[in-house]
Amino acid sequence: MSQKEYIDPETRMKIRKLTDLKPTAAKEYQDAMLGRVEYFANKGDSNFNNTIENIIVKGLSSLLGLKVKIDEMLGDDRKEKVHDAIAKLALFGL
Amino acid sequence: MYHLDGTDVLDERYYQKTRSVCPECLKVIDAEILEEDDQIWMKKNCKEHGDFKDKISSNAKYYKWTHYGTDEWNFLKNGEVNPPDCESTDPRGCPYNCGLCDQHLSSCSLALIDLTNRCNFNCNFCYANVQKAGYWIEPSLEELDRIMNHFRSKPMPPPSIMFTGGEPTVRADFPEICAMAKKHGFQEVIVATNGYGFQKKNGGLEWTKKVLESGVDTLYFQFDGINNITYEKTRGIKNLMNYKMRVIENCRKAGLSSIVLVATIAKGITDIEIGNIIQFAIDNIDVVRGITFQPVSLCGRISHEDLTGLRITNADVIQEIDNQTGGKIGIENAWYPLSTVVEMGRIISYLADVEPVEFTCHPDCGFATYMVLDPDTNEMVPLMEYFDPLKIVDFSNRFWEKIKKKEKQPIKFFENILGEFGQTLDKGLNWLNKQQLKARFLMGMLQYTKKPGKLMELFTRVLLNGNWESISSFTHGTLLISSMHFQDAYNFNVERAKRCIVHFGIAMPDGSVKECSFCTMNTFHRPHIEKAIAKKLTEKVKNEFDTTVGLLTEEVKQEVARNGGQEKGE
Repeated sequence: MSQKEYIDPETRMKIRKLTDLKPTAAKEYQDAMLGRVEYFANKGDSNFNNTIENIIVKGLSSLLGLKVKIDEMLGDDRKEKVHDAIAKLALFGL
Repeated sequence: MYHLDGTDVLDERYYQKTRSVCPECLKVIDAEILEEDDQIWMKKNCKEHGDFKDKISSNAKYYKWTHYGTDEWNFLKNGEVNPPDCESTDPRGCPYNCGLCDQHLSSCSLALIDLTNRCNFNCNFCYANVQKAGYWIEPSLEELDRIMNHFRSKPMPPPSIMFTGGEPTVRADFPEICAMAKKHGFQEVIVATNGYGFQKKNGGLEWTKKVLESGVDTLYFQFDGINNITYEKTRGIKNLMNYKMRVIENCRKAGLSSIVLVATIAKGITDIEIGNIIQFAIDNIDVVRGITFQPVSLCGRISHEDLTGLRITNADVIQEIDNQTGGKIGIENAWYPLSTVVEMGRIISYLADVEPVEFTCHPDCGFATYMVLDPDTNEMVPLMEYFDPLKIVDFSNRFWEKIKKKEKQPIKFFENILGEFGQTLDKGLNWLNKQQLKARFLMGMLQYTKKPGKLMELFTRVLLNGNWESISSFTHGTLLISSMHFQDAYNFNVERAKRCIVHFGIAMPDGSVKECSFCTMNTFHRPHIEKAIAKKLTEKVKNEFDTTVGLLTEEVKQEVARNGGQEKGE
């Protein structure tokens, strides 16, 4: 844990001076998120059990991974131009 | 500062006229909001009681960023409103017609009901207490049903309800009330609590399981810090951390995984606990979903010097968060007014056919940021590092501007030619149209994502279907930190009151339900409303809890500091 904990002599208070925000419970954090998904999925009538939505979400997730790599290759200037062009395309004809 | 880049707005001195009230006589008077010494102040004059000056924000640059708008960027938004409940008969206007009147500019996002003014604590700055009030407020189940029905029967009903008090969990029928809220269709049932029912050594865990099954989703949990000495100062009770920890443990064991830590921030008392509270939340991230910091509201007659000394603004809180997290959650890049996401919410609501939620509150009401775990570094970082928030908001604003007419005018191409059969075809056309709009929206939004992964999959689901389970699962992957500053008579801004999205519901003796915006209720209407609905205080109720320990706090002169802003002694 990158935090310094000390007792302030004047106020007698425990003070934690944060130097970063690393959690002590990274696994619990992930479990909380996935546990909530499981909670809804177990209820039966849930979008988490919708095959089509699951395929779309997984597909988009893979595309996102690819996009992030392309963004890195493009560099900031060209990335911004590509993003602007995609935004214009998304708004075209509306 | 995105939408102000390339402009000289930040170099201009801020000035705006508004309406406020005299803190002495509560008459509505003119007020000016202006910049002095890199801070924002409210100045006003009452002909009878003289001049008043109060700090609105300690950071003029940040304030200007949230108050200057362009055609496409504006944090001051008018909402879709429900029809008024009452006529504006009082010539003084807002806030004196509250109930709600036709001057209100937002619909309710969070319904509040005071379940009782009984409480096992007797905090010296709190007004909601049978012993101080001398009367008993506790709506019956029939009255609660009436209030919930009032909210849920609106064209734009609030999706969430919060039970407040007093301490709501002292009511024996609390589980039944939660079940009633779910039955009425509230998706999120929240209880503002000091933890009483949840912490009991005998039966606390079973009780927690019971209320979870009955419908409670979230604890809005009074949490002033991690030091016993802090609670001694704020609550007048020793060794309260054990009590607080039992609540956390029982929720963990019961599977109640949505606790929001709520800290009232007073200068020199709880502001030094801000970093501690954030670290505590991160350490308990499996059950803690968020933190709300609430700068104290002030009331009573205070000199200008005392007022300036006690006043702490949202900007002070987020600056302190910046300081106490070593700049990890920075004032310049992590915080946004709640109204930032209005357009995004409208798009999702329209495309996914879900109940709209309009966070059209005033930019001064609150700021928020999301913290998430960066899978690369295993460190909690602001959500802004996952995607470019300004680009996303900018795209949402432009997208909504283009499609908002479609929401009001669905396609009616075949209906005029083919009658009923044509209506069916038009439904199909509208469905197809929404799917292509969804594809465009996703393409525009997701291109600004910087990190793929599980969290972004959940964000994609929020954009796709906007339903409660997607939003709830997404929030379980984040830590929401917000700062909410309630108004008092010193800083009261009528323009803020008109946009309030948090409304009390009160069952009146004549069978009606009064809906009153939060700050208006606490600053103006609570005394006479409570007198109208009060029950006679019995000895049994009066002596139910030994709360005298809460009155012993001498060193904290916080009698003027409270969450709402009531006249002292009322």
